[in-house]
Amino acid sequence: MEVLREKVEEEEEAEREEAAERAEWARTEKMMRPVEVRKEETTLTQEMLRDLEKKLSEIQIPISAELPAFTKDTIDISKLPVSYKTNTPKEEHLLQVADNFSRQYSHLCPDRVPLFLHPLNECEVPKFVSTTLRPTLMPYPELYNWDSCAQFVSDFLTMVPLPDPLKPPSHLYSSTTVLNYQKGNCFDFSTLLCSMLIGSGYDAYCVNGYGSLDLCHMDLTREVCPLTVKPKETVQKEEKVLPKKYTIRPPRDLCSRFEQEQEVKKQQEIRAQEKKQLREEEERLMEAEKAKPDALHGLRVHSWVLVLSGKREVPENFFIDAFTGHSYSTQDERFLGIESLWNHKNYWINMQDCWNCCKDLIFDLGDPVRWEYMLLGTDKSQLSLTEEDDSGINDEDDVENLGKEDEDKSFDMPHSWVEQIEISPEAFETRCPNGKKVIQYKRAKLEKWAPYLNSNGLVSRLTTYEDLECTNILEIKEWYQNREDMLELKHINKTTDLKTDYFKPGHPQALRVHSYKSMQPEMDRVIEFYEMARVDGLIKREETARTMTEYYQGRPDFLSYRHANFRPRVKKLALSSAESNPRPIVKITEQFFRNPAKPAEEDVAERVFLLAEERIQLRYHCRDDHITASKREFLRRTEVDSKGNKIIMTPDMCISFEVEPMEHTKKLLYQYEAMMHLKREEKLSRHQVWESELEVLEILKLREEEEAAHALTISIYDTKRNEKSKEYREAMERVMHEEHLRQVETQLDYLAPFLAQLPPGEKLTRWQAVRLKDECLSDFKQRLINKANLIQARFEKETQELQKKQQWYQENQVTLTPEDEDLYLSYCSQAMFRIRILEQRLNRHKELAPLKYLALEEKLYKDPRLGELQKIFA
Amino acid sequence: MNRLCDSMEPKVMDDDMLKLAVGEQGPQEEAGQLAKQEGILFKDVLSLQLDFRNILRIDNLWQFENLRKLQLDNNIIEKIEGLENLTHLVWLDLSFNNIETIEGLDTLVNLEDLSLFNNRISKIDSLDALIKLQVLSLGNNQIDNMMNIVYLRRFKCLRTLSLSGNPISEAEDYKMFICAYLPDLVYLDFRRIDDHTKELAEAKHQYSIDELKHRENLMQVRLQDERARQEELEKHKTAFVEHLNGSFLFDSMYAEDSEGNKLSYLPGVSELLEAYKDKFVIICVNIFEYGLKQQEKRKIELDTFSECVHEAIQENQEQGKCKIAQFEEKHLSSLSAIQEESELPNIEKMILECSADVSELFNELMMLEMQLVEQLEETINMFERNIVDMVGLFIENVQSLMAQCRDLENHHHEKLLEISISTLEKIVKGDLDEDLPDDLRALFVDKDTIVNAVGASHDIHLLKIDNREDELVTRINSWCTRLVDKIHKDEIMRNRKRVKEINQYIDHMQSELDNLEYSDILD
Repeated sequence: MEVLREKVEEEEEAEREEAAERAEWARTEKMMRPVEVRKEETTLTQEMLRDLEKKLSEIQIPISAELPAFTKDTIDISKLPVSYKTNTPKEEHLLQVADNFSRQYSHLCPDRVPLFLHPLNECEVPKFVSTTLRPTLMPYPELYNWDSCAQFVSDFLTMVPLPDPLKPPSHLYSSTTVLNYQKGNCFDFSTLLCSMLIGSGYDAYCVNGYGSLDLCHMDLTREVCPLTVKPKETVQKEEKVLPKKYTIRPPRDLCSRFEQEQEVKKQQEIRAQEKKQLREEEERLMEAEKAKPDALHGLRVHSWVLVLSGKREVPENFFIDAFTGHSYSTQDERFLGIESLWNHKNYWINMQDCWNCCKDLIFDLGDPVRWEYMLLGTDKSQLSLTEEDDSGINDEDDVENLGKEDEDKSFDMPHSWVEQIEISPEAFETRCPNGKKVIQYKRAKLEKWAPYLNSNGLVSRLTTYEDLECTNILEIKEWYQNREDMLELKHINKTTDLKTDYFKPGHPQALRVHSYKSMQPEMDRVIEFYEMARVDGLIKREETARTMTEYYQGRPDFLSYRHANFRPRVKKLALSSAESNPRPIVKITEQFFRNPAKPAEEDVAERVFLLAEERIQLRYHCRDDHITASKREFLRRTEVDSKGNKIIMTPDMCISFEVEPMEHTKKLLYQYEAMMHLKREEKLSRHQVWESELEVLEILKLREEEEAAHALTISIYDTKRNEKSKEYREAMERVMHEEHLRQVETQLDYLAPFLAQLPPGEKLTRWQAVRLKDECLSDFKQRLINKANLIQARFEKETQELQKKQQWYQENQVTLTPEDEDLYLSYCSQAMFRIRILEQRLNRHKELAPLKYLALEEKLYKDPRLGELQKIFA
Repeated sequence: MNRLCDSMEPKVMDDDMLKLAVGEQGPQEEAGQLAKQEGILFKDVLSLQLDFRNILRIDNLWQFENLRKLQLDNNIIEKIEGLENLTHLVWLDLSFNNIETIEGLDTLVNLEDLSLFNNRISKIDSLDALIKLQVLSLGNNQIDNMMNIVYLRRFKCLRTLSLSGNPISEAEDYKMFICAYLPDLVYLDFRRIDDHTKELAEAKHQYSIDELKHRENLMQVRLQDERARQEELEKHKTAFVEHLNGSFLFDSMYAEDSEGNKLSYLPGVSELLEAYKDKFVIICVNIFEYGLKQQEKRKIELDTFSECVHEAIQENQEQGKCKIAQFEEKHLSSLSAIQEESELPNIEKMILECSADVSELFNELMMLEMQLVEQLEETINMFERNIVDMVGLFIENVQSLMAQCRDLENHHHEKLLEISISTLEKIVKGDLDEDLPDDLRALFVDKDTIVNAVGASHDIHLLKIDNREDELVTRINSWCTRLVDKIHKDEIMRNRKRVKEINQYIDHMQSELDNLEYSDILD
C-alpha cells in the first residue's frame, strides 16, 4: 500500500507539474529528445538546437509544397457516422486511462517526448490510436499476403509529408477517409496497412518512431529498383561422384607441377589487381551516391508497421515501410528508433535504448522491462524471465509498476470507431490515384498505370538510366496487359537499339520472343516461337542480312536445324517486289536428330545442298560404338558423254566413305535412286526456305498491324468492360421481358368476366358450362363484328371525305392556285393511301375473324374449367 | 472349277523365268538402264509377281532373302513349299491355285496378309507361326467345320477374314458364330461388322464363349505357372545350387539304395533316418541360400565392372569424336584454301601440310586407343582377380558345408551299423520281438553280409554327395573361365574394330588428298 500511496502522490505531483512541463516541452521540444536516439545529440547545447530549428523552419521541403494539402477543410464530415463524431462512455474511459498513463509516463520519464496516444480524428474528436485500427480481411485474394497488401497500400495512397517532420501529427484520420481521398501521411499509411494485416491474421503493429530522411520522404532515389535486380543464379554444386570400384585410372599426368603452380600464382596476382581496381571504382561510385548528411538525422518522426513472427508462418520479425511497401529486416539502419507501438488491442512503449538504431531491440512485448504496456490482460503473456537480463533493469523498477493499480484489470480495448474498410472493385483495379503512379529509383524510373487506362494496354514502364541524374536512358522496359496480340513485355535497349518483344502463349503466329533492330525484312532479327503451338515445331528463327537459321524440335522427320545462305538479289530489269524475286540461295544446311528406327549408317545427320556448285553432301549419324561417321557426296552435274548420250550415273558422281562398307550401297542403282531422292528433297528444302521468308514478311506485317491497332482483350467475366456481353445481356433481358409480356397476354383469361358472374369455387354444371361457352363465343363474335364495323365505318368516312374533296376540286379547279392544287394532290394521295390500308385491314380481318373464332372455340373446349363440356362431347 | 491351265503344260520356276520377272518388275526408265547394266541381285528384290504362269511347283526362291511381297496367284500350285527362306515376307498371295492343305508356312513369322482364296483347303491349321497375321482370305475353299473358327482365336492381330464360298458359309449361324468367336475382327467377307451385329452375336453365343474363355484362361495360367517355375529353376541354376532348397539330394541318395531302404525297417532306424534327414536338409538349404547370395554378389560385381568399362569406352569415344571434328573443320578449310591456290609449289606445300595433319590425327587417335587399351587391361585384370577369388571362396565354403553332410552320413552309418549288429545279435540269440520283412531278414545271415549291406548303402550315399559337389565346382569354374575369356575376347574385338575404323578413316582421308593431287596435276 505504501507503494500505492507513493504512486498517488507522484501522480498528483505530476499533475501539478504537467502544465509547466508541457510549456517547457513546447519550448524545447528538440532538446528533450531522448538520449538514446543519438548519442551526439547530448553534446548539443540548447542554443545550437534552437538555431538549428530556426534554420530548419526557413527551409521548405520542396515535396510538401508540391503536394496539395490534405487538411480537414477538404474533408466532408457531414456524412460521417456518429461514432466518428462522438466518444462512447467506454472510449471516454479509455481516454482517461490513457491520460493518466501519459501523465505518469511523463513524470517518470521526463526526458522523453510525450506519447502519441489520442490524436484528433477528422471530426476533431480525440480517439485512442488502437481504436483507429480496424482489422479487416479484404475480399480480394490478392490482398491475403503481406507483400501484396503492402504494395497495394503503397500504390493506392499518395504520400503527404507530416506537417512537422519532427513531431507526430495532431490528427489521425480514419482509414475510410484516407481511402476516400487516397492521400495520407506515414501514420495514415501504416494504420491502414496494419488494419489490413491484422485482418488477414498477421501479428502486426503500428510503430511510432524515427526514420531516416529517405524513409520519411519516400525517397527511393538512392535505392536500386527491385525490378532491375537480377535474381542470383544459384550455382548448383556438382556432386562428387564416388569413383566406382572398376573406374579406370586416368592416364598419368606428365605436366610439371612447379610450372602449374607458377602459372596459378601469376593468374592470382592479375586477378587480385583487377579486383582491387574494381573495388576502388566501386568505392568511388559509392562515395558519389552517398547522401548528404542529414542535420535532423534521428529526429524525423516516421511511422511504419512491425510484423512479429509466429502467426501466418512468419519466421522472423520484420518491418514494412508502408510508403514503399518494401519489407526490411529489424536490423535495417534506416529505422532509427521506436517510441511506441500499438495494435488494436494494446499500446506499448519502448523502454530500450535506441542508440544503435533498432538493431539491439528485442521485440518481446511480454517483457515488461523492455516494453511498457498500457492495458493489462492482453494476449501477450508475461514473459517468464529465465535469463535474468540485468542490463535492461536499471532504474526503471518503479516504471514497471506504473499505473497498473488504478486500472480495471479486466479493462479491454473498446471496439474500433472506424467504419468497415471497404475498397470497391473499381478502386482496387485502378489502384493508384487516377490510375497512375511514378516512382523514382536509383538510376531508374518506374511508372505504373491501371489496366485498361492506356489504350495500348501499357501497365508499367521501367526506364533505366546510365547516370544518377537520370538523363541518359540505358534501356526501357514496358509491360503490357490484356493485349489482343498477347504482347507482354517490350524491352528497348537504347545503347544497342535492340528491341525485344515478349509474348504470352496465344499469338496467332505462336510468337514467343521477337528481337529486332528494325521492322524491315531481311535484317538482323531473332524470332522465337512456342513450338508446341506450331505444326512444324519451329523454335527459333534467326536472320541476318545473308543468312537464315531455323531450329526445330519434335518433328516426325527429325529435322533439327536448317541454315540457308543467300546471295544478294540480282537486279532484274522488270522491277518486281521482294516476293516475286526471292534472293538466290547459295547453300542450305540441314541437320537431323537421330531417328531410332533407322540404323545409324542409314540415318542422315546432316545434309548440305550446295546449290551453286550442284553438290550435295551427306553426313550420317555415328554408330554408338564408332567414332567416325559415314559420308557421301553427290555431284549432280548432268553431262553428256562422247557419243552424245546423257550420262545417267557414273561412279565418280558419288564419292562415299563408309565406316562399314556395305555391298548394296556400291551399286549405281542405289546411288542413282538416292540422288534422285535428294534432288526432290532439295527442291522441297528450297521451297521451305522460300516459305519461311514469306512467313517472316507476314509476321512483320501482322506485327505492324497489331502495333497500329493495339486492341485489348476483355475477359468474358469482366461484365463491366465487355461491351459485347453487355449488349448481349441487355438483348437477352429485352427478349426475356418481351417473352414475359407475351406470356401474360396468352394467359389472358377469356372466361374471367363470365366466370365472375357465377358463384366462385363451385364446380360448373354442364348446363352452366354450355351457357358460359356460348356466351363467351357470342361475345367474341360480337367483338369481331364490331371491329369489322369500325373499320368499315372509317373506310366509308375516308371515302366520303375524299369524294367531297374531289367534288370541291372539280368545282373550283379553275380558280385554284398551283399551291392549292399541290396541296389537294398530296391530300388525295394520302387519303388514297389511308383508304387502301383500311381496305387491306378490313380484308385481313375478314379473313382472320373466322379463324380466330374457331381458335377460341377450340381453346374453350380444352379449358379445364369447362371440363363438363368435354365429358359430354367425348 | 474347270481351269484353262489344266490342259496346258505346267511351267517350271527356273532361273530364267525369275530373272525375266525381276527385270520386268524392277526399276524403269533411267534407273532401269542402270539396273540392266549392273544386273539385279535376287536378294535385293523386295516384291515379286508370278501370276498366270502355270507354275506347278514353287521352287528356286531361296535367293530372295529380303522379299516382302510375293504373288503366286492363278497358277496350278498344289503344295505350299520352298518358302522357308523368305522370312521377311509380309504379303503372300496364293489364291486361285490347287492347294489342299495349309503347310510350309512355319518360318514366315512376319507374314501379315495371306490369301488362299479359291483353293481346295478343307481345314484351317498349321498357321501357328504367323503371329502377326492381319488379313486372311480363305474364300472359295472347302472348309466345312465351324470349329475351324475357334482355331483362329489365337491370332490377336487378325482383323479381316473372308470365308465366303465355303460350305460353312451356307450355315445360317455362320456370321453370328464368327462375330462371337472372333470379337476383334473388323471385316468379314470384305464387309465391316457393325457393332449391333457384334452385340447380337455375343449375346447369342455367350455361354459357349464363356466356357471357351474359361478354358483358355486356365491354360494360360498353367502356362504362366510353368514358365515361372522354369525361370526360378533357371535362376537357381545360374547360382549353381539348383535342387538344394529341399530334400531332393537326400531323396536321390536313397533312390538307388535298395539296402538302405530295406534297413530302414529295422527297429529304431526310422527315427534315426528322420533326424538324419532333417539335419541334412538344413545343411542343403544353407548351401542353397549361400549360393544365391554369392550369385547376387557376383552379379553386382559384374554389373559394376561392365558399367565402368562402358563409361570408359564412352568417354574415350567422345574424345575421339571431338578430335575428328576438330580435324575435319581444319581439313575442310585447308582443302578449300588449296583449291583457291593457283601456284603449284604452294599447292604442293599445302598438300604436304594436310597429309601431315592426317598422320597427326592418326597418331592422336591411336594414342587414345592405346591408352584405353592399357586402362582397360588393368581393370579387366583386377576384375578377373576379384571374380576368381570370389568363386574360390564360394567353392571353399560349399565344400566345407558338403563335408558336414559327409560327417552326418558317417555318423548315420555308424549308428546304423550299431543297430544292425545288435539286431543281428538279437536274431542270433533268437529274442527278437518284432517281425522283420523277409528280404530284410535275409540280410541277417551273418555279420559280413549285414556289414556289407550297410557299407554299400553308405558308399552310395557318399557317392551322391561327391557327385553333387563335383558338379557344382566344375560348373562354377567353367562359368568363371568362360566369363573371363569372353571379356578378354570382347576387349580384343573392340580394339581390333577401333583400329580398323581409324585406319579406314585415315586411308580415306589420305586417298582423298592423293586424288586432289592427281587432279591438280592433271589441271
